[in-house]
Amino acid sequence: MSRKLGAVVLALGILVGAMGLKTLVTTHSKSAVVMANGVSPVPKLPLPPK
Amino acid sequence: MSAGVCFVSISFIRGSFLKYFFLNLYVILSLLADLLRQYVLNFHGLESKQYLYTYYYTDCLLTVALFVAVISLASHVFAELHLARYVRLVAVLLLLGTAGFSYAVVAQSTERLATGFALELSQNLYFVGLVLTYLLWGAVLKLHETRTRLVQMVLSLGLYFSAYAGSYALVNLAPKYEVVQYLAPVLGCFLPISWSLTIWRHNEGARLTPARLVAVPR
Repeated sequence: MSRKLGAVVLALGILVGAMGLKTLVTTHSKSAVVMANGVSPVPKLPLPPK
Repeated sequence: MSAGVCFVSISFIRGSFLKYFFLNLYVILSLLADLLRQYVLNFHGLESKQYLYTYYYTDCLLTVALFVAVISLASHVFAELHLARYVRLVAVLLLLGTAGFSYAVVAQSTERLATGFALELSQNLYFVGLVLTYLLWGAVLKLHETRTRLVQMVLSLGLYFSAYAGSYALVNLAPKYEVVQYLAPVLGCFLPISWSLTIWRHNEGARLTPARLVAVPR
């Protein structure tokens, strides 16, 4: 397997793992979103329109 | 905010600003984003749309910058194996893949498409960064990386991501306690402080063996 193909497979693997982890975490969460940056207070998200 | 100024100043003083340029760029962008957020917060308030948009757009920008910082550390780790080119390829594929996935998620709703995309991209890139950091730590152990600065910076990133995941879990487990709402902002200081200490206490030539932390059978 060439290195380029290996890089593509690795990228896909990371993407699938990350999205799987996110799905796992967010399906069991009630409200808040993960915000990874800064010290400012997190604003509340408006409810989606029905 | 002062922790960020401290990190950039120490990087300049110790002559490692360019060596760890993307870490410095992330901290500088984080400082600018905090200033902008404070300005909008003071003028429009926490509940305003202006603050909402400013917060989530700057967060998206900062998450991309943090992702680039993780990739730059990966480039340092894999530089000796001449794999930096492939690290960049993986980074581009991951960024495009995450952007495509985020767009696919929000494309159904035409209302607030741009904001939804910024939020979704930020969230997804955070999880990609989390997985990437753990893989990077695995590579550091496997390759017996000995550069103290590099090892401690990767470890700081791992702790930072893990602490955020922990605070997220706490917010969901105990939403009625207001104190948990302040965990994430407090954690925002962790990365520049730990990086500052690393740059301040160790020079570029310092070495350690992280493999000693792993239990091996005799």
